[in-house]
Amino acid sequence: MAPVTYLEAIREGIWEEMERDPAVFCIGEDIGVYGGAFKVTEGFIHHFGSERVIDTPIAEAAIVSAAFGASLTGMRPVAEFQFMDFISCAHNQIVNMVAKANYRWNAPAPLVLRGPSGGGVSGGPFHSQNPETYYAHTPGLKVICPATARDAKGLIKAAIRDNNPCLFFEHKFLYRRIKEELPSKDYTVEIGRARTHREGRDVSVITYAAMVYVAQEAADILAKEGIELEIVDLRTVAPLDKDAIASTVKKTNRVIILHEDTKTGGIAGEIAAIINELAFDDLDAPISRIASLDTPVPFSPPLEKFFLPKVEDVVREARRLKAY
Amino acid sequence: MKKNASKAQSKAHTNRRASEASIPTKSSGNGARRNGNRGGQYPLRSNPHGIPDYRLEVPNVRTVEEWVDSEFRYKVEGDLSSEPPPLRESKYLNREQSIDIYRYMLLNRKMEQTLENLFKQQKVVGGVYLGLGQEGCSCASAYALREGDWIGPMIRNQGALLVRGFKPRDVMMQYMAKSGAPTGGRDAGSHFGDKHKRHIAAPISMLGDLIPVLAGVALGARLQGKNIACLTWVGDGGQSTGPTYEGFNFAAVQKLGVILIVENNLWAYSTPVDRQVACRDLADRAIGYGVPGFIVDGTDPNQVYDVTYEAAQRAYAGEGATLIEAKMMRMRGHAMHDAAAYVPKPYFEYWKKRDPIARMEKYLLDKRWLTEKQNNELIDSVQKQIDEDREFADASPYPDGATAEERVFCDNGAKIPFLYGQPRVRKVEKQKLGAASDVAHFR
Repeated sequence: MAPVTYLEAIREGIWEEMERDPAVFCIGEDIGVYGGAFKVTEGFIHHFGSERVIDTPIAEAAIVSAAFGASLTGMRPVAEFQFMDFISCAHNQIVNMVAKANYRWNAPAPLVLRGPSGGGVSGGPFHSQNPETYYAHTPGLKVICPATARDAKGLIKAAIRDNNPCLFFEHKFLYRRIKEELPSKDYTVEIGRARTHREGRDVSVITYAAMVYVAQEAADILAKEGIELEIVDLRTVAPLDKDAIASTVKKTNRVIILHEDTKTGGIAGEIAAIINELAFDDLDAPISRIASLDTPVPFSPPLEKFFLPKVEDVVREARRLKAY
Repeated sequence: MKKNASKAQSKAHTNRRASEASIPTKSSGNGARRNGNRGGQYPLRSNPHGIPDYRLEVPNVRTVEEWVDSEFRYKVEGDLSSEPPPLRESKYLNREQSIDIYRYMLLNRKMEQTLENLFKQQKVVGGVYLGLGQEGCSCASAYALREGDWIGPMIRNQGALLVRGFKPRDVMMQYMAKSGAPTGGRDAGSHFGDKHKRHIAAPISMLGDLIPVLAGVALGARLQGKNIACLTWVGDGGQSTGPTYEGFNFAAVQKLGVILIVENNLWAYSTPVDRQVACRDLADRAIGYGVPGFIVDGTDPNQVYDVTYEAAQRAYAGEGATLIEAKMMRMRGHAMHDAAAYVPKPYFEYWKKRDPIARMEKYLLDKRWLTEKQNNELIDSVQKQIDEDREFADASPYPDGATAEERVFCDNGAKIPFLYGQPRVRKVEKQKLGAASDVAHFR
């Protein structure tokens, strides 16, 4: 099998689920004839028809609500946000209508809300954000942030099959930059289970999405000085894989939490608290957080570069923890 | 919906084709030329924008501001002295159905009176929201649907919940936060629903949000091969929200069978409709959405029923959404704590004479569809049911605190069935997905 990009992996996942299950349909802005701003659903309308690939008005609240309404009849909608930044336009619908439905009135909401998030492409303040943690804070939602093509396909399929609302944050920087061979058979990846991206004994980096590759570059540099990084890719930020978090800390006793979302109120704080609860005695050094600056995502390349976590940050912190 | 009721309905409507329920055109719709006939068949006039108006009276009043002795208050500008007309005749309702609607209205009223008493006895947790004066609109509109249709009720549509088969005890237990309540104490008051049997979407407190949800329900049903009617309500206040526009526009564009009843009850909490919108008739918005719009008297169940019924027929025929403005007044404060002192007295006097239950009662008695004796028996039987339900609700237990953690998520082993059958999918050759073109908004 030829290697497949992260973007193609997501396309394959949705396509296969639509072929497998008549309950699945796509809804969103410009997803039909145009195929989506990033071409995730390109060609779908010709195959599945405009009944199952629905172009909507520019109305995120209506898209989420209509997806929810359709899910009440047993459908499994996959709704696209053109950019995940626009999820804020449907915040109320997600956190109040959708997330609480099963709890309040026994109405499961098997829907997927997906779209591109993340920076590194000079998208500016409204096309670069990482809004996942707003939703990780809301009970009733699953929040998925894949880092590899294999996971992106396995997780989008798992999200579509899940009986709960799943928010699927694709990283637009990764869309066409990474590639790998995928299993030829139908597969899913379990939601809520982290993955060890790289084994190591000295310092753990707990991270997800595009930052996995920042950690990987740092690990290559540090390996030359004899410092082994262990990279844990969370894959989902809700639910968090607490066992995986605790076990890597117990193994290396030193931990960096790295994410592209801004620092204050980011998921790193929550992970640090989990470590405090589950593995405090195993720590040989303070927990280190590396995240984007507490600013809007700036537009100009030098500004954005300064804003985002860098390989050097990880290298510096790993050295500091190792020497602590 | 009660079995006998729906049976009676289907009997009454046999052979009535959806095309008969056509939208009145400007010429046919201008019933002013039709000699003031009180029949329910034609709108008696159109408003200045051509929206058909079924009302027998069109009070020309506004709420304006005034300063008296350094105090800001509202007053009525215009004449509210007229006596109420009788109800219009329904084109569709037979005796049995009319009595059935009247019974639901009584049940609605008496249930809410009981809720008020329970509130005063401090047996209610939180507030109580009443639909006093709006029972005719809630009950008659919900009654116009058939099995398989959905409703999305708001707080003043508790009568609609009863029409769709919930019992007064369910509503009472909701208000009393009991474990036997439909949400088991997880949410309050009329915030509950039933997906499988009664097809009711549970509201959230944010207004207008059920409109796009009901559009989605209609979309889901259509994907499963069935055109259904999805009825929801919004107030003159609630219709100001963004989701109202997004949702109803989506329904209009997709030709989904959403029936939106804008209950213009003149007050959004303490804000008069004249401070909510600059237009005279909220039904005017239908023009902008590109859907049929109508004005009815919300205290006349026959007008409400007929227009909703015809909207439902259009929904079944795949002809899309309808906007109905029902004019009436909220006869109490926003909730029990609110004395509504900001409402000018003449409003209360005018609308009290238009109490929907009193009007319906008079209609049925005048028409000899009910005798005094039958009416009294009916009222007694409703009261008896309410008393039994109150006792049941009062005696039922609170939930066990530890259940608070349950059901945040739905178990993945649970099977989620299609409500209307297997979706219809386009039959195409199994085809391999081709690669995406190398075009991207950002790289």
